[in-house]
Amino acid sequence: MLHILVVDDSLIIRKNIKKYITNLGHAIAGEAKNGSMAIEQCKELNPDLITMDITMPDMDGIEAVKQIREFNKEVNIIMVTSHGQEEMVVSALKAGAQGYLLKPINEEKLAQAIANIYEDYTQELDDELLDDEFLDD
Amino acid sequence: MHQDNTPSLEHEILSPLIQRSISFLKEDLAIQVISENIDIILPNKIKLKKNTAMLGTGGNVQVLISMGYDDALLAQVVEAFLEGEAIEEDEREEIQESVSCEVVNTIVGNALKNPLDGTTLSITPPILISEAKSLFKQKSSQIAAATITTEFGEMLVTVVGPKELFSQTFNFKEL
Repeated sequence: MLHILVVDDSLIIRKNIKKYITNLGHAIAGEAKNGSMAIEQCKELNPDLITMDITMPDMDGIEAVKQIREFNKEVNIIMVTSHGQEEMVVSALKAGAQGYLLKPINEEKLAQAIANIYEDYTQELDDELLDDEFLDD
Repeated sequence: MHQDNTPSLEHEILSPLIQRSISFLKEDLAIQVISENIDIILPNKIKLKKNTAMLGTGGNVQVLISMGYDDALLAQVVEAFLEGEAIEEDEREEIQESVSCEVVNTIVGNALKNPLDGTTLSITPPILISEAKSLFKQKSSQIAAATITTEFGEMLVTVVGPKELFSQTFNFKEL
């Protein structure tokens, strides 16, 4: 089970993402409605995963990712954005996000975005274990 | 592209917004659109719907885009977003505002590219215009608008921008 921080300035999107997270068997670590709040919540709650909107007032999602990466290299971040905003997604991925989710969002899309990241993560762990086995030999 | 090949507010900006709005209403929200032949008007003044959300595009193409809804249509859009989940009556107004803003954010984000080079247009966070009144055209500006009629009422899509989006030499006009 993952502890997930939901960051979006839209109340309805936060509400829906939280519902999907619960339905998928994960836990809601917290929620934030702009980048600054996301940074504070990330420090305080140390989530496993963050869903991060890109276009937000005060501080956007890309800047928040950059600042989070200065103190937390471990947390996985999924950007939430619209079709057509691909260049911003690329900027966010360069800043340290692991994946993205295109609006309109539904439970299936969120599940797939999480699976994409944690499949990679599982593969990394498997590779590390294999390396260890070879080293032991 | 416009018939005389001059990029225009109505063809390069409003038309893709209308198309995406229709597909969003039909496919994502399961709301029936009565007619997909939508007339575009270029009025000097336009009365906005009471429930209207607005955002701006940034960078080389700077326009203001608003989307407004009749009460019954907005109520149906909210229901579609809630996916059957019940809400407290005291949070209904805030949810409605949030949905109004989210629709314009999603449609504009999905629909618009820079008409000249296909790059992404940046968009501002949306704002809600409470009890919206009217927009008036100024000397150097233009208004383009279209009404999409659905089974639950009308959605008004309005774009305000400079009279000429670009100069004849295809460089961006200074705004």
